Amino acid sequence: MLLLVSSLLPGAALAAEPERLHLLIPAGPGGGLDSTARAIGKALQSSDIRAPVSYENMTGGGGGRALGHFVETAQRQQQTLLINSTPLIVRSLQGLFPQSYRDLVPIAALVAEFNAVVVRADSSIVSWPELIKALQADPRSVTTGGGSVRGSMDHVVLAQALEATGINPRAARYLPYDGGGKAMVALLGGEIDVLSTGAGEVLSYVASDDVRVLAIAADKRLAQLPDVPTLSELGTPVVFANWRGLFAAPGTTAAQTDRLIAEIEAATGSNTWQQSLAQYAWTPLNLTGADFTLYLEAQEQQLQAILSELGFIR
Amino acid sequence: MWEGIVTGFATALTLSNLGWVLFGCASGTIIGMLPGLGPITAIALMIPVSYSLEPAGGLIMMAGVYYGAVFGGSTSSILLNAPGVASTVATSFDGYPMARAGLGGRALAIAAYASFSGGTLGAIALMMFAGFLASLALQFQSPEYSLLLILALSSVVVFAEAQARLPSLITLLLGLMLGTIGTDQLAGIPRFTFGRVDLADGLNFVLVVMATFALAEALRMTLQKDQPPPTAVTASQLKLSWQEGAPLLPVIGRSSVLGFLIGVLPGAGATLASFFAYDIEKRIGNGSREAGVAAPEAANNAASTGSFVPLLTLGIPGSGTTAVLLGVMLSYGLQPGPRLLVDQPEIFWGIIASMYVGNVILLALNLPLIPQLAKLLRLPSRLLIPLIVAFSLIGVYLTTLNLFDLYLMLGLAVGALALRWHNYPLAPLLLGFILSGLLEENVRRTLFLAESGWLELARPVTLVLMALLLIVWLSPLRGRSTENPKP
Repeated sequence: MLLLVSSLLPGAALAAEPERLHLLIPAGPGGGLDSTARAIGKALQSSDIRAPVSYENMTGGGGGRALGHFVETAQRQQQTLLINSTPLIVRSLQGLFPQSYRDLVPIAALVAEFNAVVVRADSSIVSWPELIKALQADPRSVTTGGGSVRGSMDHVVLAQALEATGINPRAARYLPYDGGGKAMVALLGGEIDVLSTGAGEVLSYVASDDVRVLAIAADKRLAQLPDVPTLSELGTPVVFANWRGLFAAPGTTAAQTDRLIAEIEAATGSNTWQQSLAQYAWTPLNLTGADFTLYLEAQEQQLQAILSELGFIR
Repeated sequence: MWEGIVTGFATALTLSNLGWVLFGCASGTIIGMLPGLGPITAIALMIPVSYSLEPAGGLIMMAGVYYGAVFGGSTSSILLNAPGVASTVATSFDGYPMARAGLGGRALAIAAYASFSGGTLGAIALMMFAGFLASLALQFQSPEYSLLLILALSSVVVFAEAQARLPSLITLLLGLMLGTIGTDQLAGIPRFTFGRVDLADGLNFVLVVMATFALAEALRMTLQKDQPPPTAVTASQLKLSWQEGAPLLPVIGRSSVLGFLIGVLPGAGATLASFFAYDIEKRIGNGSREAGVAAPEAANNAASTGSFVPLLTLGIPGSGTTAVLLGVMLSYGLQPGPRLLVDQPEIFWGIIASMYVGNVILLALNLPLIPQLAKLLRLPSRLLIPLIVAFSLIGVYLTTLNLFDLYLMLGLAVGALALRWHNYPLAPLLLGFILSGLLEENVRRTLFLAESGWLELARPVTLVLMALLLIVWLSPLRGRSTENPKP
């Protein structure tokens, strides 16, 4: 009865009644973006910040369709947040998306995943310096690979690290695979010698002693891989995070933006969210509003430099 | 291992888990039966349900949805020529003509029995050999995949009737070309998209299959004046006598083994398995229409069970559907991979054991439904045709939610009709389209690897595949000398 009354009288005594929120996911169900969106949705809902939270998976154009739709229909997307990740910047820079993060209102970065450089457990290369030595002697003696196309994150992180050690990244061989899983098969089966992929994808193979992680492109060591040095420790100052974060539609008012930021901050402080972080082994990246925008600008510059170097943008 | 199997059955046979496998199989079958909707849609639709369950129960249910949808998928292939998933395309080759000839009930019954056998044999193989096969799957690298795919594509041309070989080759190449639309998988550059975001992911599979099979067939039926009279289905057609069923047993056995082995390979899976099984039965077997239904159905069910090998033992999803399943496992905090068997044996064995139960349930669910489903065929064409058109358009729209795709689909259907009119077979087109991306990706990587010398790629598996390829390519020559003794 109370519910009925409050829904009939919007604006009256609604302080305790959470509003609905819609999350637009530019990828299919089951992947990283999808699980992050559903985890933050769950946290918002269980903390009574927003309810109900609904989800929409809009695949297409590598995320371009959802982005285009969100920007075009911005006026009626005031209760919608778009989840996105680093490829947003990569594809905008390459001109694959007509829009960029500048067309959106950054709300908050939620989690980060750092790339790991991995070899087979029985590989003759057992450390990052050895890999560099081998590549310096002959850049084509080692075949590297990753779970995404050339010019995408897996490739770019490796290329940046190689360039920092004075190796021409264009001379090194990089084989792209359709997803981290297939790239892992190629590594285990010996088609590639070195794999660059998200650290989360390699944890179970480290546990089973099938692979060895040489280095991680993070600012500090990961809790799940305490023995693996960061690239910076190894004298190669490359830090690169694949962030996943939320954006509001263009034209969102400053007041509404502040409110959304406060809500997401409250949700990321909740126990539900902490549980999700532990469950998925995600590294939290709590950046909101202006900090998030600055972070995006810095990453855009970093990517612009390496993508030009690799010849993916002119 | 026996200990594990006992653990597995103890998990699978609890009352609640039996309930979930029943629920999963039933919903999977129903979704799979709808034209245009396949296992991946079924699984995606059930994700919200899985969130509220315990890991074992949830995964048992999701696995049930998966093979339930594969099981049910044959229905729309046979009755409406509208396969909802690539792996049941081959079933429609003989299944649909059987249905048009009034033997729809029998075709469905054969499909049900073959699916059951394929799924059960697959589950046994999964239980016995999962660990061993996982290491075998690692032997399959880009050069092996390239050869296997070329073998599959060659077979569909070579094993066609002699006069249909050239048209088959032409439509196969057309299919390969259609598959190149979209984002280049190695360089990330859009191709043939005319700057449209709608085309950036390439043509959707459901769209192409619905346009070239279901919609083109509906158009053809409309244009053809002399309709065959709808035939009644009697219960007697459902009963396969022992004399009729016995010749199918070796077919089912062969196809299940083949299906399972191909299903284990990440990426290739059920589609390749069903096409291979069909080709082999048409060439080596007696070539009956019954065998043409039994072979792909046994193979695709065995293959979908086989696809759990890389998922459960390596943590690698071999298909879009198992990729979604992987996401579900991660959401439970499970890490599929080499450690799963050690850390969570009750989940590993529970899923496998539930597959036996699931296959029995599927057979029990499907057999009584067949006479009801077959009644669909008694619908007069003036009702059946609009039904097919509506279902195929809705199926595509629900998959992509994009109006542009419907126009594209109509255009493709008209093109497909023109090809059919001139006796160009459409199955090679579809096969070419489905395998195009996989072929390109692997061939390009192989060429890259060959930079350091072709000899390095001469490994046992590649040599065997090359020998097979040579036999397939040369086989028409032998046939020619016997078919046409005088030049």
